[in-house]
Amino acid sequence: MTDVFFYIFSTVALAAGIGVVLSRNTVNGAMFLIGTFLSMAAIFVLLEAYFLAVIQVLVYAGAVMVLFLFIIMLLDVRESAAKKTSVYTWVASVIGLAILIVGTASIVSADSIKTKAAALPEPSGASLKPFGYELFTTYLLPMQVTGFLLLIAMIGVIALSKKLNTDGSAK
Amino acid sequence: MPTEYLQQIAESNSWGAIGPELGLGILALLLLGLEILLPKVAHSVIPRIAVIGQLAILASLLWGGMSDATVGEAFGGMIRFDETGQIFRIFFLITSVFVSYLGMVSLDRKTLPQIEYFHILLVVTAALMLLAQANHFVMLFVALETATVGFYILVSYFRDTVVSLEAGLKYLIMGALSSAILLFGIVLLYGAGSNPALMGSSTDPMNFGNLSRFLSANPADTLGLLGMLLVLSGIAFKIGAFPFQIWVPDVYQGAPIPTTALLAIGSKAAGFAMLMRLVDVFSPLGDWIYPLLSALAALTILFGNLAALTQRNLKRLMGLSGVSHAGFLMLGVIASRTVEWASTAVMFYLFAYLLASIAVFAVLAHIEGTSDSELSLDDLGDLAKRNGFLGLALAVGIGSLAGIPPLAGFIGKLLIFVAAFQAEHYGLLGVAVVGVVISIYYYFGVIKAAFFEAWRFSEDEEQGEEPIPGARLGFFGKLAIVAVVAGTIIIGFYQGPLSSLLAGG
Repeated sequence: MTDVFFYIFSTVALAAGIGVVLSRNTVNGAMFLIGTFLSMAAIFVLLEAYFLAVIQVLVYAGAVMVLFLFIIMLLDVRESAAKKTSVYTWVASVIGLAILIVGTASIVSADSIKTKAAALPEPSGASLKPFGYELFTTYLLPMQVTGFLLLIAMIGVIALSKKLNTDGSAK
Repeated sequence: MPTEYLQQIAESNSWGAIGPELGLGILALLLLGLEILLPKVAHSVIPRIAVIGQLAILASLLWGGMSDATVGEAFGGMIRFDETGQIFRIFFLITSVFVSYLGMVSLDRKTLPQIEYFHILLVVTAALMLLAQANHFVMLFVALETATVGFYILVSYFRDTVVSLEAGLKYLIMGALSSAILLFGIVLLYGAGSNPALMGSSTDPMNFGNLSRFLSANPADTLGLLGMLLVLSGIAFKIGAFPFQIWVPDVYQGAPIPTTALLAIGSKAAGFAMLMRLVDVFSPLGDWIYPLLSALAALTILFGNLAALTQRNLKRLMGLSGVSHAGFLMLGVIASRTVEWASTAVMFYLFAYLLASIAVFAVLAHIEGTSDSELSLDDLGDLAKRNGFLGLALAVGIGSLAGIPPLAGFIGKLLIFVAAFQAEHYGLLGVAVVGVVISIYYYFGVIKAAFFEAWRFSEDEEQGEEPIPGARLGFFGKLAIVAVVAGTIIIGFYQGPLSSLLAGG
């Protein structure tokens, strides 16, 4: 049963991903991206990583995509006409395809994936409780530093974008 | 989850041990609070409070020394305190004190918000100090990103000039790319090191100790090798080593002078702090790392010096000569594989570079006109005649960077070269000597522009006699410049105290 769901959601994720690349209208592209994120979240649920699934929906499908849409609408991006692909695009695409093929081949051919590992450690990010324990003990210092990172990012954005009077004070 | 285990980890969160970083963070918040509370006329006192606070933290670091309690791992293995980390802490604090002073000079002429600059500077310094002591990839990456995000803002801070914004955008793109490369390397190392099928794997391979054990058990692991390569590439971006130096000239040129100084000194030293610690972690892969680093060092020295030859813009020249200094420092890191005291030589070189660069940047900050990104050799015309004090400071700074005998830079280069000689890297040593010879040409171009009569059209002569814009030196300006110049000269003659500090004696 899980297998069926896995195939359904991964097909949706792939199809929506292709939709992102192929759609000429940027808003449609953003909507396809939400589809990809949601089906990724569903796959996380199938893997019993409920916390990750919730975060995926809240942060990516929610906050990040709203930002994307805001910017698309602010910039008023029109449907772009078909551009001539440059040589670099071709080279990059071929390299990307080659890496994809190598990756897929190595997954298919690897024996270690087909056999289950004997004892996997309990993932700390899978559900909320162990995640919280880890966050406030082992990773407490990085978390506090991240707080400062967000603070200076916010202050920097204000310092770089607020309107100035001639005397340098903020309006 | 066993609660006892968690309690044990929570107890290793010894906040007292990161007192200096906490102090900087609190000072940064205090500055913002003061901006709200103090009346507008008293705002000019806030940067001074920042400098005084930093000096107090520096004093407590220098006199407090290292107690037994502050050696070893803390925060569940996130941080490892040792003498190298302690020296880098002192290094970053000294840098940020001088950069604060440069910031006071440069921001004074601008109608821009001022306090935020010092706030971000303090947080960046604290992040760099944590970075030098990180013992875990999560800590390393978070500290590095905090510093880098701060740098994005500080580079584009003079937003009334287009070049500053352009430099900020370029640094943002290149910085994001380098962070991505570094992160990809970390992920590969994590994936390789947590594979339960392999010997020496652990559940927390991002800890440097665990990773080192894993790598010595599997020195030929492909994923591990790839991860190491990507992590080193990410660091090479930070230090501006050869294939990853493309951002250096543009960003150094466009950034405000205090930020350029912080990039040249702080960011580079942070890169070397990471490199020295990670070379240790990756030592099981030494047969791969050292030839790679040697090739990079040789190319970096040659590229930096050759590219600087034709520069007339002073900040680009400092940037490209900084690339070549990164090459010399890498030479020291390479030598430290076999010669134990080579890492001390690297730190000595960093201190000499700090003092000399600050001297040069302080002079630039004082002679800059309205657009500091266009400072070129021509702006130095007759500097010695117009302001002998600044001329002397420039000569000492540039002389030390070039490695002229009685100055600190010479001793730094000498120590690195002796270390490389003892480690029998004769080829690299030859390249380095050629690099030094080339560098003397452009360094003396700067001195020539400042000291020798410049030829002018007759109608320009009137302007030449005018005082240099912004060359009003206050008492603290003189004090700061005298401090770095005196430091450069004293260390050049008498290395005892600094080397014993660096050697942890």
